[in-house]
Amino acid sequence: MLSENLTIVLPELLLAGYAMAALMFGVFMGKDRQAELILYGTVVVLAVLALMIGVRPEGTHVAFNGAFVDDGFSRFAKVTLLLGSAVMLLLSREYLKRHDLMKFEFPVLIALASVGMMMMVSAGDLMSLYMGLELQSLALYVVAAFRRDSLRSTEAGLKYFVLGALSSGLLLYGASFVYGYTGTTVFSGISAVIVEEGVSMGLLIGLVFMTTGLAFKISAAPFHMWTPDVYEGSPTPVTAFFATAPKVAAAGMFARVMLDGFGGAVADWQQILTFLAILSMFIGSIAAIGQTNIKRLMAYSSIGHMGFALVGLAAGTQAGVAALLIYLAVYVVMNVGTFTFILNMERDGRPITDISALNQYSSVAPGRAFALAILMFSLAGIPPMLGFFSKYYVFSAAVDAGLIWLAVLGVVASVIGAFYYLRIIKLMYFGEEVDPLTGRMPVTHRVALALSSAALLLGAFVQMFGVEALATQAAASLFN
Amino acid sequence: MSLFLIAALPFLGALLPGLLIRAGRDACAIVTGSVTLLALIGLGVNAPAVLRGEIVTARIDWIPGLGLNANFFLDGLGLLFAGMILGIGLLVIIYARYYLSRNDAMGRFYTFLLLFQGAMVGIVLSDNVLMLLVFWELTSLSSFLLIGYWNHLPEGRQGARMALAVTGAGGLALIGGMLMLGNIVGSYDLSVILESKDVIQSSPLYLPALILILLGCFTKSAQFPFHFWLPHAMAAPTPVSAYLHSATMVKAGLFLMARMWPVLSGTEAWFYIVATTGLITMVVGAVIALFKDDLKGLLAFSTVSHLGLITMLLGFGTPIAAVAAVFHIINHATFKAALFMTAGIIDHGAHTRDIKRLGGLRTLMPVTFVIATVASLSMAGIPPLNGFLSKEMMLEEAAHTVWAGSHWLLPVLACLGALFSAAYSFRYISHVFLGPKREDYPATPHDPGIGMWIAPGLLVVLAILIGLFPKTIVGTLVAIASGSVIGGDLPYYSLKLWHGVNPALIMSGIAVAGGLVLLWLHGSLDKLWNALPRPEAKRIFDIVISGLTTLARFFTERTHNGSFARYAAIFFVFVFGLGYYAYQSGTMVAADRTMLDASPVAIAGWVCLIVSTLCVVTFHRNRLLALVLIGVTGLIVSMSFNYLSAPDLALTQISVEAVTIILLLLALNLMPKETPVELRSGRKLRDAVLSIGGGLGVGALIYAMMMRDLVQPSISEFHIANSYSGGGGTNVVNVILVDFRGFDTFGEIIVLGIAAIVIYALTESILSTGIRGQLLNRKPDFPIAGDAHPMMMVVATRVMMPIALMVAAYIFFRGHNLPGGGFIAGLIAAIALIMQYMASGFSWASARQRFPYHGIIGAGVLVAALTGMGAWLNEMPFLTSAFSYVYLPGLHKFELATAALFDLGVFLAVFGAVLLALESLSRYAWQPDDATEHAMDINPARDTAVVEEGK
Repeated sequence: MLSENLTIVLPELLLAGYAMAALMFGVFMGKDRQAELILYGTVVVLAVLALMIGVRPEGTHVAFNGAFVDDGFSRFAKVTLLLGSAVMLLLSREYLKRHDLMKFEFPVLIALASVGMMMMVSAGDLMSLYMGLELQSLALYVVAAFRRDSLRSTEAGLKYFVLGALSSGLLLYGASFVYGYTGTTVFSGISAVIVEEGVSMGLLIGLVFMTTGLAFKISAAPFHMWTPDVYEGSPTPVTAFFATAPKVAAAGMFARVMLDGFGGAVADWQQILTFLAILSMFIGSIAAIGQTNIKRLMAYSSIGHMGFALVGLAAGTQAGVAALLIYLAVYVVMNVGTFTFILNMERDGRPITDISALNQYSSVAPGRAFALAILMFSLAGIPPMLGFFSKYYVFSAAVDAGLIWLAVLGVVASVIGAFYYLRIIKLMYFGEEVDPLTGRMPVTHRVALALSSAALLLGAFVQMFGVEALATQAAASLFN
Repeated sequence: MSLFLIAALPFLGALLPGLLIRAGRDACAIVTGSVTLLALIGLGVNAPAVLRGEIVTARIDWIPGLGLNANFFLDGLGLLFAGMILGIGLLVIIYARYYLSRNDAMGRFYTFLLLFQGAMVGIVLSDNVLMLLVFWELTSLSSFLLIGYWNHLPEGRQGARMALAVTGAGGLALIGGMLMLGNIVGSYDLSVILESKDVIQSSPLYLPALILILLGCFTKSAQFPFHFWLPHAMAAPTPVSAYLHSATMVKAGLFLMARMWPVLSGTEAWFYIVATTGLITMVVGAVIALFKDDLKGLLAFSTVSHLGLITMLLGFGTPIAAVAAVFHIINHATFKAALFMTAGIIDHGAHTRDIKRLGGLRTLMPVTFVIATVASLSMAGIPPLNGFLSKEMMLEEAAHTVWAGSHWLLPVLACLGALFSAAYSFRYISHVFLGPKREDYPATPHDPGIGMWIAPGLLVVLAILIGLFPKTIVGTLVAIASGSVIGGDLPYYSLKLWHGVNPALIMSGIAVAGGLVLLWLHGSLDKLWNALPRPEAKRIFDIVISGLTTLARFFTERTHNGSFARYAAIFFVFVFGLGYYAYQSGTMVAADRTMLDASPVAIAGWVCLIVSTLCVVTFHRNRLLALVLIGVTGLIVSMSFNYLSAPDLALTQISVEAVTIILLLLALNLMPKETPVELRSGRKLRDAVLSIGGGLGVGALIYAMMMRDLVQPSISEFHIANSYSGGGGTNVVNVILVDFRGFDTFGEIIVLGIAAIVIYALTESILSTGIRGQLLNRKPDFPIAGDAHPMMMVVATRVMMPIALMVAAYIFFRGHNLPGGGFIAGLIAAIALIMQYMASGFSWASARQRFPYHGIIGAGVLVAALTGMGAWLNEMPFLTSAFSYVYLPGLHKFELATAALFDLGVFLAVFGAVLLALESLSRYAWQPDDATEHAMDINPARDTAVVEEGK
């Protein structure tokens, strides 16, 4: 029994074991001198694990009495988030080196956060959910304040920590209500009680508080306040990491809690999610307009995008979950590309994050400008970029679920949101002359930027690389 | 040739110019041209079938999950547009070869041009709405690249920016509208949508879908009030203007309106929105065009005006108007592209496009003069040119169309539009070519080589031929294209020059005569026009944009100002809101419990609790006082635990309280006496409301919960039932800790130990930096007491120590059956030692420490682990407990459980962890050189000894 359980959680065990071993190795083998080695090691381990999970046997495997679920859904999310983590970690190497941040703890923390994220998407029980969530969050609090000599970074980390602790508390408070009114912490048990007895007020309170906690983690408005500060304050590789894998994990966890645990109470949480989605889409779009810092802009962009992703979840249908997964996968690619670019925004060795520095960038580096333009078009959701199709999936899922007005509001928000993405393109191609950016771009970054923009531009013509079919399969595993 | 290939050719071919530019400019132009020619031939192969009335299709599944199929179809309308796009494209490619100078990157230009061409062909051939949208946006994309091609010109950038914003927003609106349309019909295939007129027009979503689609069309086709971007985009190279802004891209909006005509037109909404917009655009565009001094500006507004004309015709919703629209699309494309090219030639030759600096070019550029004159006359609607024919048809239609009950409004305005149109056409001839030769041209004007004028030349020949023999040249094309717009039988019409004297001819006559008059009056009218205040579209656009930005900034800065307190406040407001929502909308069973009687003691305790809490809030700035009050609160809370029958909890709470207070006292030692004033009264009020609201909310929630029985059976039952039989103890809490949840506790003591060691490690590393010096040199807020180690306290703590340790032992041993246990005992023992530190100082106490606390923690964890592993000897899982009864002579029988051993581990770990943590923290305040001269042990004679030494 135990060995079966351990086989199911093998990837998590391996990664956790690796993280601890790497930590010890770093501590005893000369600390930061080994940082690069550990970084590469972590990248390899993450990538290998993604591969390993990708080829795991199909079907649903449950370990530890339902506390851990390995199914198509979790595998899809894990592969996405592991690859996202691996790529962002690999890409952060240059930046860390250049800005004297190459500390061996960084890759270890990313590995630990990844273990937490894997737990989050596999959690089949409120307790394992919380464990995964906290493991991830604690690692993230630390990396958010990773640049300890910067006031901004530490302030952002502290704010994130305090608000995060608050939201974790709320989540726990909600979870305790759920436990109190269902007598179990296993999702399947919770949903069985709901099917049998309906949703009582206590359960609803539990649901609401858990939702606020989860909403905080995916930075959905109105619990998004930490996002812009953390995005701006953290070193860029950390911001890039924040924008990719953790979002996938949190949204995946969100979907599982809602559908596995509260699948019988769709009508109850649909309203809350609709509210969160609308608020996120509009706050993300409107607030981004006034931003002058590209990292802050990406923060609001991520808030908006989480709103769009929530539209898919709010549908509460299989198509909606598939749409959510597709949305997340495309979102990760877009962010990898965009942040690869931002990582290289420099002038004379100093990182620059002012959007105005992109003025006339197309004449400085036409290739990069074109790639960024494609990324921006995709983020804005303009066809034929994949960003359009992923938005289309969520909206059509919402329409099919009868949430027509939500879809309409989503379209309106994306029109508003398009404004600031297009503004970047406008600046790059038709802006005024300014001091050009001088950042050199290492080969890995060129490749990442080229690949991500090519994937977004051409993805629609090659069946989205099969992601659609995989996401549909993965979503199906939440609905049987 | 397959339709796929026709659509794909320009895209595939787009690679070639970039690759072949090294082979020379001619090779580059030839390869680009041949790609287009090939596509045109492909179209020609399919043309006979279409002209026979068939529809050529090509289907392939693309993303079936989205209902997205790569279906193409070619009908009359598609043929017309595709022919125009490729045909004029070919001419523009030839023209551009000679127009672009050596410094321009020609390969890039042709690549962009082919991309654009492919996107346009894609739009007109798509049979799937989603694919149409894809190509639609691709045209925007490639057009930015083309418009921004000369991005070293500031006005070019400005124009491109506006084009980007306007058409970008319109495109998104179009997406919304098309998705709605697809949702109404249930399919995204155009061929299906075009069959579903009734379903669409009866749907409640018809109007929103219509408005959104029209927004997309109007922005793309520069219709009023979005007409302003087109003239500003004219800074692009002239081939681009000729291609995008007259012949193709701006016609995409018209194409879509024509395409959707069968299902969307015929309603009042359609008529009033489309026809009115078209009419206004036609007149406004024509009026502005007359007063433009830039050649391309004039042509741009004239394009706006003509697009308005076609829009108006489509808006009429009658079949005959649709025929006229199709016919005018053809005619406009011929003469306007030719005119743009002549403007480019003039610019090329004279190095200026300002009409005020031109004139008298007739003799200098005779070929250009002839071409431009023919094209302009066609634009003015002079027989026997093609512009005349379609304008007649338009006026004929306008003459008998009723607008909002008025019979004269439309004819008059249409006539006015035609009049201004004639006027600016004449102006293009007379002010540029006629008049005296000037001396001050920026460059000597001359006719270009044949390469540059051949393209416009061919177009004007076409214009003349269509005018003379309309039926022969374009009769079939017009019929077949109008057929697919109307989607039914064609009305009766005849394409010929002479229809006899009818209202249209009279209106035409008035327009031409009026045009001549206006031209004659132009000088004075121009002064008047310039004196008139008029809204500058660009300024309005800028104001709108900056207003939007300001608004967004205002909103963001209000909510997102970086203040943590504000974030938390917003966070809480929404949490309360959501909680309230759940509280209100949830169902609850009726309360079935009764309240306990409140005893006077309980009430007194409750009042104390409230008062002390209020006092903490009031006096929080005085740190010491606040700490005392927090202590009071904690004590009452522990007492209330006891009162409510939770003695274990009470014991734990009280010992934790004691340790925490000591810890905080240590911290106070390093801090100023009072906290700084940070809050303004407004914020205080907000925080007060929030916190009181939160308190009341949680209180209400707890009340609601406590007044009802639990829905599920409580887990306590199990523990109570099994505590003695399974764990050998009657204190359920302790049995849970050391037995039922032993694993949990085991983990916890390890965490506790790690935490303490981390505190130690951090202290070490912090104190090894410069901070140490700062700590030693700090100036406390208030003077330190003269006697660092008061005798009273030293005596008291010495006496207390054995008693406290005894209590700890007692608590430990009774733990399994009565309130107590290793955790509490550990805390009490720790307190006993901490008292010594407090009384006699760090140096004294640590000198007497035998065992390092690390070791104690380790021993604790080890004991607990070994106890757990002991179970393995009995082949039981880790931490399975066992107990038996022991009889010793002289004592009662007593029970010995392995759990007690485990509890010993807990005791040691807690004890070590607390002491290690406190000891580490106290080192921050430790001043090794201070007050250590006395041995701190009790020696009543110490002061006299000092005095004697002094002697």
